Amino acid sequence: MTSITLSGVNKSFGANFPVIRDVDLTIEDGEFCVFLGPSGCGKSTLLRMVAGLETGYTGQIRIGDRVVDKVEPADRQVAMVFQNYALYPHMTVYDNMAFGLRQAKTAKDEIDRRVQEAARILQIEALLDRMPKALSGGQRQRVAIGRAIVRQPKVFLFDEPLSNLDAALRVHMRAEIATLHRNFPAASMIYVTHDQTEAMALADKIVLLHAGKDMLKHGSIAQVGKPLDLYHRPRNLFVAGFLGSPTMNFLEATFVAQEPVGARVVLKSGEELTVPVDGSTLAAGAPVTLGVRPEHLAPVVGPAPQTLTRKVSAVEHFGEYSFVYLEGGTSAPLIAKVPGDGGVKAGDSATYAAPADCCHLFDADGIALNHI
Amino acid sequence: MASSPVARVAGRIAVPVLGLFWLAVTTVPFLFMVMTSFKSQQESFSSSVWALPEALDLVNYRSVLEGPFLTYFKNSVMVVVISVVLIMLISAMAAFAFARMRFRFNDALFGLIVAGMIVPIHITLVPIYLMTRQMGLYDSQFALIGPYVATSLPISVFILTEFMRQIPKELEEAARLDGCGPFAIFFKVFLPLSGPGLSTIAIYNGIMLWNEFIFAYVLTSSTGTRTLPLAIWDYQGQYTANIPAILTVVTLTSLPLVVAYAFGQEKIVKGMMAGSLKG
Repeated sequence: MTSITLSGVNKSFGANFPVIRDVDLTIEDGEFCVFLGPSGCGKSTLLRMVAGLETGYTGQIRIGDRVVDKVEPADRQVAMVFQNYALYPHMTVYDNMAFGLRQAKTAKDEIDRRVQEAARILQIEALLDRMPKALSGGQRQRVAIGRAIVRQPKVFLFDEPLSNLDAALRVHMRAEIATLHRNFPAASMIYVTHDQTEAMALADKIVLLHAGKDMLKHGSIAQVGKPLDLYHRPRNLFVAGFLGSPTMNFLEATFVAQEPVGARVVLKSGEELTVPVDGSTLAAGAPVTLGVRPEHLAPVVGPAPQTLTRKVSAVEHFGEYSFVYLEGGTSAPLIAKVPGDGGVKAGDSATYAAPADCCHLFDADGIALNHI
Repeated sequence: MASSPVARVAGRIAVPVLGLFWLAVTTVPFLFMVMTSFKSQQESFSSSVWALPEALDLVNYRSVLEGPFLTYFKNSVMVVVISVVLIMLISAMAAFAFARMRFRFNDALFGLIVAGMIVPIHITLVPIYLMTRQMGLYDSQFALIGPYVATSLPISVFILTEFMRQIPKELEEAARLDGCGPFAIFFKVFLPLSGPGLSTIAIYNGIMLWNEFIFAYVLTSSTGTRTLPLAIWDYQGQYTANIPAILTVVTLTSLPLVVAYAFGQEKIVKGMMAGSLKG
């Protein structure tokens, strides 16, 4: 069993600088878990704590059945791929991959067998005699992954492994990491990134982390779940705003009444909308925030219920789709992501439907109301 | 703030002019030394100071090499090689601790060691002389090695600490995950990666110790134990009026350093800059 359990984990750098707060988390056997969050949220710190590179925390970390808080990094049966590859510059690719096994006094034949096998999987056989400086970024990343594979770890740890690669290579390597996960189904994987696209593409489970004041107020973990669960059912305003590009539109509103089909709210601009959530705990007149993703705003012609009418301030065309920027009612412009050229231009007045099923409602504390 | 065109032109002219001036200041004595070493004593008196030698007469070189010069040379090589090896090993281990290990008083200890650079060696001469005599090392090559290592460590630790601080932390962490303890991390990762820094301190200290005079003068007394700087002094006494012979000794003594500097100047400058710009 290679599940990873973090119980009541807290860590501070100095007395007044908490970085990880109240983390309770279980990563199941063979699961691909992504730590996602903004800069400074402690996602790399949390990963390094699992690796054994960060000590001085409270709480407990278990890998499988074993408590590893006092276990040296090399004895945790984990392998880590670093953001800057961390290949030993004075060793060949072969020696880089074999180094850990030599330290563990593995038989020479076995070392050779494992290195050759990893090189075959990663298609770097021809590079084994080269020095790291003679490799491209993508090749170095493969070697770093190869160094992890040869150790046959129970847990793979990836610390923003693709952030130093260019966009095209990043997509390619992302697919290779997904393949690696399929090839090693018994190993659990933790992957740190600030890139939500990587997280959505790779993860079985996303752990979205708070930073700053939100972390101090609510703890480090904002939400844990499957990627689409976080996308479609964000627990709070932070999660709703972090996932999705462009970010979710937020409109200030006032709760009017709870009806059988959902909560009825009125926007500052006067439109009334119904959101299928349970607002029974709210008093009439309570301030709320309506959230709707840009891709869920659909253009409509003529009067219709559940719509927003705004003046178009700008249109950005991307061929397959366009972003239509709408002004009024919000501090930031409202964005609609529409197919084709959008059919409007700056200065036009346009009406967009906000389907009830795609709307979210957050109370005054930013907590999402449950859908009904 | 942008400089004026006049200032830019003046700068473009002044820099090469000053460079050429400094080149002349340093090269002229060197050329004088080499040229005079090929002159006979009589020729050196009769000809102009800047006149080229009438012939490439090697009599001075033959005469010097037939004397105790080679004994001095051998002593210098032995003392400098052993000292430099010890300096590299000790300063690398100390630098690794200061650069990579978190322990109480790390900064204070580092500051204390680096502060050793400001202690003039002359005020240590009497205590070191007495200690050397009490230890029974006086007038041996080993009498020089201790003071040489001790006085060279501050600058060496300083340079190597700054160098090792620039080695990415992830390499150390990768080594820990690969099962290395502190000694394995030092010997298998940091020491091989510190090659340029080690070369810098080897060349820098090699030059300094090759030329070292005062400790050699105080701690040794016989021909069999003395080093090259004292050989020059010895020849000066022996050939008081034989300037070509003295300059031949100086030329032969300088030759290894000239060669070493020609090949290592880039590393020396780079190492010194690394030590001065960071930290």
